[in-house]
Amino acid sequence: MTILTFIIALVAFTVLAPFIGGLIAGTDRIISARLQGRVGPPLLQPFYDVQKLFAKDDSVTHSFQGFYVFLSLVFTVLAGAFFFAGGNFLLVIFILMLATLFFIVAAYSTRSPFAEIGAEREIVQVMSYEPMVILMAVTFFMGTGVLSGEATFNVGAVFSLEQPLIVALPFVFLGLFFILTIKLRKSPFDLSFSHHAHQELVKGISTEMTGRTLGLVEIIHWYETVLFLGWIGLFLVWGSWIGVVVALVGMAVIYLIEILIDNNFARVKWQFMLISSWVVTLVCVVLNMVFIQVVF
Amino acid sequence: MIIEPVLIIGLLLLMPLLAAGLLLVIRGNGGRKVVVVGFGVLIMLGTILLAVGYLVGDPWQGSFHYPLIDYCLLAIDVVIGLYILAKSIKYKKLLAGALAVAQMAGILAFEFLIAPGVSIASDLYIDGLSVIMALIIGIIGSGICIYALGYMKDHECHAREDDPTCKDRRPIFFALMFLFLAAMFAIVFFNNLAWLFCAWEITTVCSFALIGYTRTDEAIANSFRQIVMNQLGGLAFVIALILLGLQGILELDVVISHGNLGLLGLPIILLAFAGMTKAAQVPFQSWLLGAMVAPTPTSALLHSSTMVKAGVFMVIKLAPALGWNANGIAVMLIGGFTFLFCSAIAISQPNAKRVLAYSTVANLGLIVACAGVGTPEAVWAAIFLLIFHAVAKSLLFLCVGTAEHNIGSRDIEEMDNLFIRMPKLAMLMALGILTMFIAPFGMLISKWATIVSLVETGNAVLLIILAFGSAVTFMFWAKWLGKMLAVAGSQSNVETAVHRSEWSTIGLMAVLVIGLSVGFPFVSEMVVVPYLACIWNVTGLDVISFDNLLIMAIIVLAVVLSFLVFVWRSKKRTAPIYLSGVGLDFEERTYLNSLSQETKASQRNWYMDGWFSEQSMTPLANTCCIAVLVFGMTLSLLSLGGWSL
Repeated sequence: MTILTFIIALVAFTVLAPFIGGLIAGTDRIISARLQGRVGPPLLQPFYDVQKLFAKDDSVTHSFQGFYVFLSLVFTVLAGAFFFAGGNFLLVIFILMLATLFFIVAAYSTRSPFAEIGAEREIVQVMSYEPMVILMAVTFFMGTGVLSGEATFNVGAVFSLEQPLIVALPFVFLGLFFILTIKLRKSPFDLSFSHHAHQELVKGISTEMTGRTLGLVEIIHWYETVLFLGWIGLFLVWGSWIGVVVALVGMAVIYLIEILIDNNFARVKWQFMLISSWVVTLVCVVLNMVFIQVVF
Repeated sequence: MIIEPVLIIGLLLLMPLLAAGLLLVIRGNGGRKVVVVGFGVLIMLGTILLAVGYLVGDPWQGSFHYPLIDYCLLAIDVVIGLYILAKSIKYKKLLAGALAVAQMAGILAFEFLIAPGVSIASDLYIDGLSVIMALIIGIIGSGICIYALGYMKDHECHAREDDPTCKDRRPIFFALMFLFLAAMFAIVFFNNLAWLFCAWEITTVCSFALIGYTRTDEAIANSFRQIVMNQLGGLAFVIALILLGLQGILELDVVISHGNLGLLGLPIILLAFAGMTKAAQVPFQSWLLGAMVAPTPTSALLHSSTMVKAGVFMVIKLAPALGWNANGIAVMLIGGFTFLFCSAIAISQPNAKRVLAYSTVANLGLIVACAGVGTPEAVWAAIFLLIFHAVAKSLLFLCVGTAEHNIGSRDIEEMDNLFIRMPKLAMLMALGILTMFIAPFGMLISKWATIVSLVETGNAVLLIILAFGSAVTFMFWAKWLGKMLAVAGSQSNVETAVHRSEWSTIGLMAVLVIGLSVGFPFVSEMVVVPYLACIWNVTGLDVISFDNLLIMAIIVLAVVLSFLVFVWRSKKRTAPIYLSGVGLDFEERTYLNSLSQETKASQRNWYMDGWFSEQSMTPLANTCCIAVLVFGMTLSLLSLGGWSL
């Protein structure tokens, strides 16, 4: 990753990701509506929503709140830029963690009982998915090692592979898919922040966010969606244009499955989320490590 | 300016001793202040002078052998044994007394029967690691002593309110603190293991006295728990001394350079065991938790710069002899389990000092695990974990201590809204917490290096432990941070009562935390990598690339600066929070409910008692670690008989 590629990635990600993320959100809403027997909003509805949020009267509970959310946005964008510039995977993960932390602190700082519950649940969500995320980076290192002979944490290395990473890391891919539901805030794991305001303890972590601040939260979510789909793509792509096509199709399929899961499962309790994601993580990672030892 | 090494070591040993002697005699507040601040600053300058000369470069070793020193140190060993024996008779603690007798018998037998036959070439030793340790002891340790001036004044006042007749015991308190520093310097510089043992025992007995300082029943019980556990380590040390003496080796650097060969296997694990008891690794974590009854400066000193750091220093020293052998595997697993279980238990603790204690034990576990892995990359990580843990933890302890004296509680729930009540302190406490668990700050970068070193050695078990341990670490720090950073209402600022001595030390720690986080890539490049290159004979050590370290350093700077330049009074309209009804008092979170009755919304943090409670996790942790320890010791014993893995 040179400085030039980083700057290009930063600009491209900053500009393009919200559009892609917003379109994905729009598609998501249409498909979800059809699954529920509704027509659904127009494709560009998420953009109209955010536009409206930005036009609203801008109020906060105190001035730090908006500051924290802004920092969260900045670090999400930075994490994405490092990822798409082909940078170090662990660096991406750790910067993203910082972004998540600022979002949590933004909610805590309001001292609203509802936002606090949301923030606590968000922490439990982080605790649930973080082992898988770290171990994904670790096994990424192992996977590039067995496929190309040169183990690395650099994401860009996938483009010099002859086969996609999923060949070496099938179980880890499954594990990532499992925790992706938490990261995308999809039901059954949308404990901290449901898309349906009337349901879960008002609106969880974003209870006290309105206007421009809430608009920023939406935009953060778009950036995150693109970044996480990038993680999925990382496992499917290899060094040819067919690889890129396969990765794009794979990302679309995975997201469709996420929508199906979102619409078909009721929200679970945190105990189930924590235990299931830890068990899935442990089983998938151990199986995959054994798999690498046996097959390669 | 480079000073003769023997001279600077002598200065660093004698200055704190002199200070301790003076503090014992001086009873006035003014005089004490002059001595503590004066000697504190002198010791800091002394360590900086040492760093100028020896931070980078080849290790130095030298002889300073006079029989008189041996006799004096032996006399000290015996006096310590007798002191513990006397105390254990007074308080009827048989086990402590028995261990003291066993230790005395062992050391006397060693000194008279074995030691005279062994020749020692170098008694003193300085390398990059000892200088880093000396800086930690000198700067952080002395800083804590200065902080204690203000803190102990309040402490004494509180004590007098409860019991007007109680005697002012501050002279002995400060004398012990400085004696502690002297013993720590000795541990760092002594290469002669018999000498090192004496310093080792002084730190044990000093912390015994400091933990029991308040003389409540709880304090005395906990001080005995500490002494028994550390005497076990001391006993292991004595046995190691005897075994090594029989083989004619009594210098630490020689032991290490021989590596883990047959007959040295057992002494090495015994020394590592001594280190792990001092570093409060499971199953010995309870002494450090018990140490929380002591005044906060004591806890800060024990946790951040001394005592436990002596333990990990020993294990890091032994790292070249560890690695993929029975000893190394035992050490890395004990460290790993300690990290995982203690991080998990920290979730269930509402008491801020106990959270800090569990986090200390957990992070020491990580350092021990890295040392056990025993590759240069892992030791790189261990050294940075050691440095950042020392500064961040002392910052946190001092902040919690000051908060406790001003808000009257060390319960995290009571720190709700601290951001309004003590804004500066809350900011600094937040800085300490961030440094402990999140990128781009020091501890997490060190953890990143740990991951790299583990994945390069293919250590799957520790990688999994580390991933889960990091996740639970996020949980307990983030919820504390959130609680503290809540902003509501306009409660009065109670920060004005904080002593200047407390501010100066807290400020110093904050500057160190930021400075080291920003300077991380340069410290690595200029100090740690050359040190490892020299000990391991490796060149071009590149754990985390310089670019990535630089990116993190820039982010640290950006986060800190953005807080500093952030405009407090933005023009945004502020609105009250939502409270399921007509809000009455947003600070108290009361509102009128649908029946027009006043209701109070209250919200406690999440402690997950059913999952991560002390009662359920501790036996599990103890079982795992004891099993590993027995495994390691057994294999080493077998290797004495020529059998090997």
